[in-house]
Parts: sequence; C-alpha cells; structure tokens
Amino acid sequence: MAYLRHRLRGIGPYFIAGLSIIFVWQAVVELLHPSSAILPTPAATAETLWTLTKSGELITDIYASLSRVLSAWLLAAIIAIPLGLLQGTNRRFERVFEPVVELFRPISPLAWIPLAILWFGIGESGKIFVIFIATFFPILLNTVSGVKSIDPVMIRAGRILGCDTSLKLFIKVILPAAMPTILVGLRIAFGTGWAAIIAAELVAARDGLGFLISNGMEILRSDMVLAGMVVIGVLGVLIDSVFRVIGKKVNWGAQ
Amino acid sequence: MTTVFDKTQSRAKGIHIQNVGKMYYPPNGDPVEALKPVKLDIKPGEFLAVIGPSGCGKSTLLNIVAGFEQATAGSVLVDGVKVDKPDIDRGMVFQQYALFPWLNVRQNVEFGLKQLKVPEEQRAAIVKSFLELVGLQDFSEASTHSLSGGMKQRVALARVFCTNPSIILMDEPFGALDALTRSMLQQELLSIWQEYEKTVMLITHSVQEALVLANRIVVMTSRPGRIKLDMTVDLPYPRDSKSAEFRTLEAEILSELTDEIAKSYGCNPPSVTAD
Ligand SMILES: Nc1ncnc2c1ncn2[C@@H]1O[C@H](COP(=O)(O)OP(=O)(O)O)[C@@H](O)[C@H]1O
Ligand SMILES: [Mg+2]
Repeated sequence: MAYLRHRLRGIGPYFIAGLSIIFVWQAVVELLHPSSAILPTPAATAETLWTLTKSGELITDIYASLSRVLSAWLLAAIIAIPLGLLQGTNRRFERVFEPVVELFRPISPLAWIPLAILWFGIGESGKIFVIFIATFFPILLNTVSGVKSIDPVMIRAGRILGCDTSLKLFIKVILPAAMPTILVGLRIAFGTGWAAIIAAELVAARDGLGFLISNGMEILRSDMVLAGMVVIGVLGVLIDSVFRVIGKKVNWGAQ
Repeated sequence: MTTVFDKTQSRAKGIHIQNVGKMYYPPNGDPVEALKPVKLDIKPGEFLAVIGPSGCGKSTLLNIVAGFEQATAGSVLVDGVKVDKPDIDRGMVFQQYALFPWLNVRQNVEFGLKQLKVPEEQRAAIVKSFLELVGLQDFSEASTHSLSGGMKQRVALARVFCTNPSIILMDEPFGALDALTRSMLQQELLSIWQEYEKTVMLITHSVQEALVLANRIVVMTSRPGRIKLDMTVDLPYPRDSKSAEFRTLEAEILSELTDEIAKSYGCNPPSVTAD
C-alpha cells in the first residue's frame, strides 16, 4: 500500500503535466481557431491515436523504433563501456583518446545522416548507426567519470585485501564502484537515442515513429504528426522511469 | 593457505623500516620532503603507536609500509622481504572505513577470504565467528549504508582480522568517531590484538589513545618528519587513564608534541589533542 502510494506520487506530476499540456493545447485551439491541418484538437489527435492503435500500425511503428534504439544502444554500450573503463584507468590511452572524442562529440547525429546513407545504404544499419552516434557519448563520458570518481581508498582497500592483479581489481572493485554512474550514462543514452529516432527515420524509413511523423507531414496529416509526438514523449518518460528504478537499486542504497 | 586462520600459530612478523624517506614531486610545484629518513624496527607482536603533528608524514610512512607508496630513500623489510606492493598479509584499517558499498556486511568481511580462495564452508564459519567477535552477527545481511560509523569500523576490523594477516596497519582508525564509541572500539581492538597476537602499527593524533593501546610509542617531529621520541610503555592492560603512571607518561609525550606543534605553527595548524 505504502509502496503503491509512493509509486503514484512519482507518476502524479507527470499526470498533472500531461493534463496541463492538453489544457493549453485546447485553449490555443479555442482562441485561435487554427485550421485542423495546422493544429488539430487534442480530441482529434486522440481519435487518430486510437485508429492507429486499432489498425496495428502504431504497434508496428513503436516496435520498429524501439528495436532500432535498443540495438544501437546495446552496441554503443558494448563499445563505449570498455573504452570508458580504459580511458578512466589508463592515462596514456586517455591522452590519445580524449581529444578524438572531444572532436567528434559536438557533431550532431543529424550530420551523420548523409554518411550513414553512403556507408550503410537505406536499410536498418544506417538508422542504427545514426542512433548509435547519439547513444555512444553519454555512455562513454559517464563511464569515464564513474571510474575517475572512485574514492582512491576503495582501490587501496581492494589491493590490500588480495586483488593483486589489475584484472581482479577491475572486476572486484572498479567495475562495481563505477556501476551507478555507468547506469546513469546508459539511462541518458537511451533518452538521447530515443530522441534521435526522428532523425534516423527521416530518410527512407517505411515504419517507426519517426516515419509516422515525417509521413504525416508529407500527406498533410498533422494529427498523425502530433500522435507520433505524443507517443514518443510518453514512451520516453516510461522507459526513463524503468531506468530510474534500476538505477536506485544499483546505487547500493546510497540515497 | 592452511595457516590462514590457525590462531594457535602466531604469525606476527617484525617490520624493519630502514632509513625510509619520501619526497613528493608535484607536477606543478616545488618538491615536498614529506619524510626525513626514518629508522625504526618493530618487533613481532609489538603494538606501536605513532604520534606527530598533522602533516608530518605519518600517513606517508604507513602507506610505504603498506606498499601503497614507494619510498624515495631506504626500504621496508618484513621478515627480510622488501615491501614493494600491498599484500593481504599486511592488513589495513582506514579512517574512512573503506567498506565496499555494493556488498553487504557479510560479503565485506568475506572479501579477503575469497581472494585467498578459502573454501566456502570454512569461509562462512570464519566470517560468522568474526562477526560475533565484533558483535555484528545480527547485521550480517545489512547494507553498509545502514550502519553507524562505529559499526562500519567494526566491520572493517572483522574484515582485516579474519584473513589472519601478520601485520595490521591503522591510520587514525577511530579519528572520525565520537568519544564513547572510540573508547569502546579501542577496548575491542585491544582484546582482539591480545587474542590474535598481531604486530600493529597505529597512527593516531590522540596521546591518550596511544597510551591506552600501545606498548611502544613513537613521537615524530613536524614536517619533514623524523623520530623525536621512542618510548616503551610497559603498563599492564587494561590501562587506567587516571593512574599516576599514565598521567606522567601522558604529560611527557604531550610536552614533546607541543614543542613540535609550536614549531609547525604558521604552516600547519596543530591537530593534537590530549583527549
Ligand atoms: N601526493 C602528495 N603530493 C605532494 N605532497 C604530499 C602528497 N601526499 C602528502 N603530501 C605532503 O606530505 C606531508 C605529509 O603528509 P602525511 O603523511 O599525509 O601527513 P600526516 O599523515 O602526518 O598528517 C604533508 O605536508 C602533505 O602535504
Ligand atoms: Mg594522515
């Protein structure tokens, strides 16, 4: 019961925020009377959402987008976490690798789209590549900072308690000590990856929430555009909250 | 590995600190001489307390003995073997407890035993007995965050003693605890030490703590540290801090210390107290 109340208190603000957005949206429609092609009412958008759900189209799009983000995010994690651990523990590697990262980091995933098409064509891998770019850096940077912010006394304790090789120290101390921060990186990365699906699905996609939006734009169905936006927002919050729950568990009870 | 917890066999070892000195070379700044060459022989089973003004190099010396840092002059020998890296045979108790927050109390105590590859059944028995020794048997599955400072340091004591090291190093282990908890832990440490016969090297800034615990006390000068006074304390345990002998020794050490603190004024504020 207490647990449920606690959960509800977390959801409450989002519920209120959602209602407020719908209220303002409705008010704008009432006051300015825009044509429904420019701004449909919340009710019309909800109806479109319902139609898309019934036809199964929405589920297909969600599935397509989610699996793209998931693949890219997993790939980024597999590459960025070891690199981050290496950069955080090895000065020499950091001196070489950090400038490279800093040069690539300001380049938006959007800028990679042309190259993604050239390199990977218009199939799945190009889209995954664009999302990969968006997820890679948050994971890398958080892993590095997770390793660097480990209290040196933890390392000493591990070494004097028998972790006599770097590998043992890594597995027994460095990795678990950095884990809470790595998880923050994974959470943020999923968010940035999720936000990048529009960009990734801008080109030559036949499904996905990004496709729903760009296609809605092309056939002048702003209700479809808005429906896509609503789904992206709501799913983004839901996924993020799953990560938060995991993150609290792995924060070793610190907060 | 069979000797790991055979307490019938005293495994205390002597420490030979042979003209150990330390210079630090900060990347942007002048070199710092943290420690003037120190010569000190610690006998097996001895309980040595090191006192000195803050910043005089006590931690530096202890960290060299532990193998965390390398001396820039001289060397440390344990049983004739040169110390150049940490070893589970020299246990360390840190002021910041240094428990692993991702492990519960039992797993923290178990950590060193696991590295020593002690079989699981035996491990469980040892952990249980050491948790009982420090009175935490009911907290074995608790997370370390739920513990008070005194309880955390008890876990650290169990963690270090259960691997049966021959030497125990302590850097102001009770410095962060309140007075009552501190004196309780001092008594607990004393009884564990008497039972298990370890060589102990304890850094403290409390003259009283040194006199309650140690059978030898070394006073260091202000930075760069040297040994100024080397005193054997043969008062019987448990020591009565109100006895005349205790008071006399306390006054003697304090006066040596006060001189040093006066010298270090202006660069290092004194942190030595008589409590
Ligand atoms: N890594 C370091 N680099 C430069 N100076 C240091 C370093 N570590 C310690 N020192 C200096 O060495 C001196 C002795 O330090 P320390 O051994 O920690 O003193 P104590 O434990 O007696 O308070 C201090 O003046 C301190 O500033
Ligand atoms: Mg110190």
